[in-house]
Amino acid sequence: MIRSTYLVTMRDYLGYVSAWGFWLGLLFTPIILGIFILAPTLAQNAQPTRYFAVIEAGDTFTNALTEQMTESVSVTARAMLDPIAIAQNQDSEKLTAYDEARANGATVEEAFSQAGGFPDMLPRQDFVQVDAPVSNSADLAPYITGATLVDTSEGPQPLFAAFVVNDESGEIEYWSENLQAQALMSFARQAERELQLDRALATVNVDRSILNEARAARRDVTQQRVRTGEDADTETKVTQADQAPFVVSIMMAFSLWFLIFSVINYLLMGTIEERSNKIFDSLLTSVKLPHLLAGKLLAVLLLSLTLVGFWSVGSGVVTWFARDMISADVAQFFGAIFTAAANPALFVPAIISFVLGYLMYGSLFLALGSLCDTIQEAQTLMTPLFVTLMAPLAMLAFAIQDAESALIEIMAWVPVFTPFLLILRMPTEPPVWEVLAQLGLMALTTFVILHLATRVYRAGAVHGAGVNDVWAFFGKLVPGKKSAA
Amino acid sequence: MGEDLPLKMTGVSKWFGSFQAVRDLDFDVPQGSIVGFLGPNGAGKSTSLRMALGVLSPDRGDVSLLGAPPNLESLKRVGFLPEERGLYKKMSPRQIITYFARLKGMSSRDAKARADELLDMMGLGEFARSRVTKLSKGMAQKVQILSALAHRPNFLILDEPFSGLDPVNQQALEDLIIEEHKRGATIVFSTHVMEHAERLCEKIVMMARGRKVFDGTLDEAFAALGRAVHIGVAEGFDLSAALGPSGFEAVQEGDHWRGSLKQAQSSQDALRATLDAGAPITSFTPQEARLRDVFVSLVSEAEAQDLTDTLAADAAEGREAA
Repeated sequence: MIRSTYLVTMRDYLGYVSAWGFWLGLLFTPIILGIFILAPTLAQNAQPTRYFAVIEAGDTFTNALTEQMTESVSVTARAMLDPIAIAQNQDSEKLTAYDEARANGATVEEAFSQAGGFPDMLPRQDFVQVDAPVSNSADLAPYITGATLVDTSEGPQPLFAAFVVNDESGEIEYWSENLQAQALMSFARQAERELQLDRALATVNVDRSILNEARAARRDVTQQRVRTGEDADTETKVTQADQAPFVVSIMMAFSLWFLIFSVINYLLMGTIEERSNKIFDSLLTSVKLPHLLAGKLLAVLLLSLTLVGFWSVGSGVVTWFARDMISADVAQFFGAIFTAAANPALFVPAIISFVLGYLMYGSLFLALGSLCDTIQEAQTLMTPLFVTLMAPLAMLAFAIQDAESALIEIMAWVPVFTPFLLILRMPTEPPVWEVLAQLGLMALTTFVILHLATRVYRAGAVHGAGVNDVWAFFGKLVPGKKSAA
Repeated sequence: MGEDLPLKMTGVSKWFGSFQAVRDLDFDVPQGSIVGFLGPNGAGKSTSLRMALGVLSPDRGDVSLLGAPPNLESLKRVGFLPEERGLYKKMSPRQIITYFARLKGMSSRDAKARADELLDMMGLGEFARSRVTKLSKGMAQKVQILSALAHRPNFLILDEPFSGLDPVNQQALEDLIIEEHKRGATIVFSTHVMEHAERLCEKIVMMARGRKVFDGTLDEAFAALGRAVHIGVAEGFDLSAALGPSGFEAVQEGDHWRGSLKQAQSSQDALRATLDAGAPITSFTPQEARLRDVFVSLVSEAEAQDLTDTLAADAAEGREAA
């Protein structure tokens, strides 16, 4: 068994890795992920600068608007300086340095630079104010429509929008031909809210600084947890180490999903190739069917490990070269992640879930592939499976909010979802019996699916059963409906 | 039984749904023989061979392959060329032959050496490392044949090995089969081209409509059809009456007489008897029996029998319904 399975595994594996498509996927997946992460910033930077003007008697609204726009960039700058501290509502050296620089009158770019950031990384200002070319809304039309340009630092440019502060009607008019872009109007609304607050405070003779002081003096809400056993003496305040298992479980569940989703296709394509190339008879007189299937499943498992290995080593190399740019906080965070990932209580169920989940879905794809001569045929059968595979992804969103939610707890008992959801539940420390029962149920289901998949594979490979036979089978299950076959 | 009969099928039947593809098939393959498995398309040849190899399970009857029911150990000593040709398109001929030889138990080094040897022998040496997609259909078929015999099997089962090959390659394959036979291999091949069977086989099994219609040597097959001579005589001469005392039977067929030859009678005997009878001979043509004629005759009989069976079954069904 071992020899024939090994030979099938190696043939399939070498076949997969010798295909240029595999290497494209291997190299481009991190690049595409990187682009996906950087896309908002890239899209923002690619956006041409938009010019706007404010027509008002005085500059109260203009100043409030400018302040809101600056604050928006400042929030981004702080998030870029230390995203982990921001996410966990904690102080950090970088943020303190930034806030002090801003308090001392530094611009956002200057403060960002002084706190250790690279100003070039900051997103560019989307909107730039220019002097109003006219003094009332009646004359704005040619500028708003682009028929007449306004003077800017980049030369004559179209006017994207204009605000007209109408003191008589008490309304702030927003003029623009772009009815979709709401960002500038949002800044204006926020600015007007602040102005309205100032006006309200003034009517009761309260200075704005008092409100700011009151806000600064608010009490912090800290997250605590009960420590027992060996940890009984440690601080009860929730730390990165406490949250790391949840982060790790989400990463593991997503990785499992991503791996299954990305490599399972190879099983399908490989089987379709063998069916369409009519190799089954030659194979089945040389190797037992279960050994053949085992070899195929192992080959793709090896393929997924190659992907993980390559990406892990790649990440390690990149991290090594970028080590000087990684702050102590980030390093500490990753340390907590690795420590959590190395916890057997998390990784043992994760590995079992991965293996069983892979076998469950892999054998299904193998079986269905054996019924199809073309990828078009396969698509008709794959849709229900892909929909099933998408469900755990949706549940990841629930798990991020609350891993102990009733939905996750209930759905984890559904064997086809267990591989993903059990991992998500592990940091909540579910009862051992529950973990064992879910693993057992998943193992039993995997065994049943493997058994059925072997039968379907035999029907496809030996008897030439096809997609129509599947529909005929389901047709027989419908009461009163005669099968076409 | 055992190794003396590398393949023995007893009372084997196979249904696909309500269609019976093979009916009570009995036949065996003697050790060291070349057996032709003949029949028209849809006769049940491939199904029978797939059952012989254990790819399909018979619904009834027994199969013994190298002395035991088909199993992976015995299959390691069997080479099989399936009817449906197929190769891994992204692999080279050398890789494919090596892969299948290794699956049959050869070491990596031996399998590679054997692949090189066979590819050179079949004139495919220069394509050894090319992708299969670069090969012509005939070349690809040769690669598949080589994959079947790379591990030097004791028993070769070839399903329609000549189909798709041009005459030159058909001759090369015939030579290869003879070589394998000389090496000691027992060979069964299916075909519906009778000439190959005539040249190669010691024994033939004919199938039609899932039934075995003949099982025996070539001579027995010819005997089944019967040999004859065509004799032309002057108009008005009654050859039947003239030959009667000598034991020959003659029947008038148009402008000539057809004289049937019995087992011990030769065409020379018929000529001598005709001359002795004083017949005014105008022509004398020995009719050499061809396997094709035997085949057509037996298949026609089987089809007629099948039609009769079907009608009888329908009639019985009708009576029951009435």
